[in-house]
Amino acid sequence: MVRILEHAKLSAIARGFSLLGSGGGGTTTLLELALADASAWPITLYDLADLDPALPCLGAAFVGSTMLLGERLPGEAPFAPLIHAAERWLGDRIPIVCSLEGGGLNGLTSLVFASKHRVVDADLTGRAVPDLDQMSLLVDRVPGVFATCDTGVGGVLLVQTDRPIDLERVIRSAVIQAGGAGGAVFAGFTVGDLAEHAIHGSIARALHLGTAFEAAADAPLSELAEVLGGRVLGQGRIMAIDLDANDPHVSAVLVDGEAGEIHRIITRSESLAFITDGLLQASTPTIIVVLDAISRDILQVTDLTIARNITIIGLPGPDWWSGSAERIRHVVPSAYGLAELDGGV
Amino acid sequence: MKEQLWLSALLANPSNGGLRIVAGPEDTELTDVVIEATESELPADGEGLLAVLTTPPPGTPWQQDALIRRRADRGFRALAVQEADGFGTGTRALAARLNLTLLNVDRPMMLAKACWHLLEAHDALTLSYVRKVAQSIEHHVEALPDLLRHLSSSVGHGIALIDSETVLLEAGGHLDPSVHTAIDFAPWLDVTRVGGGTAASVRVDSPSREGLRIAFFGDGLSDPQLRALAVAAEVAMPAVAARILIDEVAALSDTSVSSGLLRDFLDLSGTPDRDVERRMLERGWSTTGYHLAFRIIGRTRLDTLQLLRFVTRNLGTVAFHAHATTSGRGISGWHTFTEMPTPQQIETHIAALRELHVGARRLFNVATGVGSMENGPNGLAASLSEAADAARIAVNRSATGWFVRVDGLGLEQLLLAWTRNDTFVPAAESLLAPLRESSDELLSTLSAYLDNESRIAATATALGLHRNTVSTRIQRVQELLGVDMADPEARLALHLACRAVQT
Repeated sequence: MVRILEHAKLSAIARGFSLLGSGGGGTTTLLELALADASAWPITLYDLADLDPALPCLGAAFVGSTMLLGERLPGEAPFAPLIHAAERWLGDRIPIVCSLEGGGLNGLTSLVFASKHRVVDADLTGRAVPDLDQMSLLVDRVPGVFATCDTGVGGVLLVQTDRPIDLERVIRSAVIQAGGAGGAVFAGFTVGDLAEHAIHGSIARALHLGTAFEAAADAPLSELAEVLGGRVLGQGRIMAIDLDANDPHVSAVLVDGEAGEIHRIITRSESLAFITDGLLQASTPTIIVVLDAISRDILQVTDLTIARNITIIGLPGPDWWSGSAERIRHVVPSAYGLAELDGGV
Repeated sequence: MKEQLWLSALLANPSNGGLRIVAGPEDTELTDVVIEATESELPADGEGLLAVLTTPPPGTPWQQDALIRRRADRGFRALAVQEADGFGTGTRALAARLNLTLLNVDRPMMLAKACWHLLEAHDALTLSYVRKVAQSIEHHVEALPDLLRHLSSSVGHGIALIDSETVLLEAGGHLDPSVHTAIDFAPWLDVTRVGGGTAASVRVDSPSREGLRIAFFGDGLSDPQLRALAVAAEVAMPAVAARILIDEVAALSDTSVSSGLLRDFLDLSGTPDRDVERRMLERGWSTTGYHLAFRIIGRTRLDTLQLLRFVTRNLGTVAFHAHATTSGRGISGWHTFTEMPTPQQIETHIAALRELHVGARRLFNVATGVGSMENGPNGLAASLSEAADAARIAVNRSATGWFVRVDGLGLEQLLLAWTRNDTFVPAAESLLAPLRESSDELLSTLSAYLDNESRIAATATALGLHRNTVSTRIQRVQELLGVDMADPEARLALHLACRAVQT
């Protein structure tokens, strides 16, 4: 079913992707500004079924430090050289675009291409994840998928490999070389590949979540969780943030619950797990949303500071990940090197 | 045989492998202890148990939380792991919330052994204490406090030597006064428990000192521990009793040596003698500098050694360079100053000596005399002799609290001090005896007459009598005594005799 997105829906979609970011994926402001030009709207959004399965498709995303993107704005068409390189490698024009990451600012990235490409409502994660080898096409080992990325001052790198971790490592080094943040484009797959090996309808889900979130802005917490299709995990005040001895990116945020419970949010670049009184309540791929208890702002993990009053809501993760043991292996906390946190609902 | 085990008893055990409470209930009753390498080996039902893990716990806060939660859910009362000191506030709060005592243990196997001792192997516990007592006896000790320190540090509990009133000596802690009062001095062995405080004591079988006990004490010791400590106290007691005796003999011989030395020094009356000087220097008695001597004598018979022990114990508070030893029926002592002290400093020292005197009077019926500040070896002898005179006077001076200082004496008092010896007083008594047969008026008139330069008129004014009365009485005195009042020698003798008899 083809869907027409009005400009007015942008903020709701952005809120939705913020929720799906699970505390990571970057703030959507930058992309909201990039899409502010009303002349680009309305945007036609295609379902997979609307398109010829043989059509080549590309996925685009910003990679690296999302905070850095806000400080050093990307150029006018940051993905143009990357797409050009991908098309040259394929020897064919790529008419279809999808999102690489269905959470955080990258959820909106595909919409930027609407003027020249057809946007298909699919993505490779359905939530924010930190690493490129967690893209569904790579998890399922779809052959022929390759990636291009920035190396700085107009340089382009193209990687094709059978070992997904190499792709992650090479692109990560290239992005660091390019200054810490840059674009990445995945290509070498078709609309037909997405049917089996991608998460469908993330923009529609984001729009639904964003609309519900805005509508229930003043509703009681339990009601808000219900309209989002999630559950309240806890509420309280941040008392301490313990850094992990082994991985400096991992923090355990200690939250004193309202009834004296001891909550912990385990964060890396996203919120990965939630524990109450030593019992695991939720963990990836479940989406753990942290809201400011008063303003209901959706908080990034970097916003979790001592003495802040917060509310934690769990939203079901994309079903696609639970499709097989191999898939789930790539998103559970142990994939991030964290022990004893797998298996949260 | 298996008993209940209180956590406090385990904490009080000196060989518990560094057990410390990190979070949760302070004291709790444990039914048993399980010691395993890892958490997975612990029993499913942990009702009332202490779990001890011999391998380090997980490092992340959430794994530590989960560990606490699982133990609490299975009914465990307490969990002892290594590195629990490093657990964060959240984990500690969780342990308190779930009522699980979280303990840090540095050496889990040592804790395991302590648990075994307390729960099952009481004899082994006793033996381990006894062995420690034996080990501490083999070390060299200077005196009793040394021995108590050795005992306390090797057994790992506080030890006190007590009588029913006070704690005479203690080491390794402070015996709670309430526990002290509760100790029964009658039986050979006594085990006392007051609130959290506990003590095991045994009577000290000492020939020279009665009513002493030695007590091992500590907070929250269990009955098996106290029983074992009582045995340890029994084993340690003979060593303590012997030490008391040795110390007393040593003190006695030391005192007799120093007393002899002082006598030798005084006998020299200022003649330099290299041998005496050397011996005095060896004792740290410096004859150079300024000396302020004092003498404390008993108004009644007393044990000069006991008095010396009291004085030397308290001398430190008076001055740093102070010495004292027994001499005759009292104590002689002095302070040495390298430079002439200011009058203010002297007053401070005398005030301190008075304090010492007041303190001594609580225990002994004594009088104290203080000499004047004198310089050099002769000065020391002089000051000592002044102090002796002053002490002799002080014996009868209740008005000054039996404390007299030479600087505060008149010449007359000094003179009197010389006359108040054993030979003069009886002689004076017999000399004046005829005057006292009827009444005292003749004696008082004679005394006043001599005081008033043998003038009738002045005497009459002083006594409020008519001069003829005075004149008649003097006549009569001359007749009764058969002396010639014109002879100055006779007048002096009579004058001294009057003073000696009347004071």
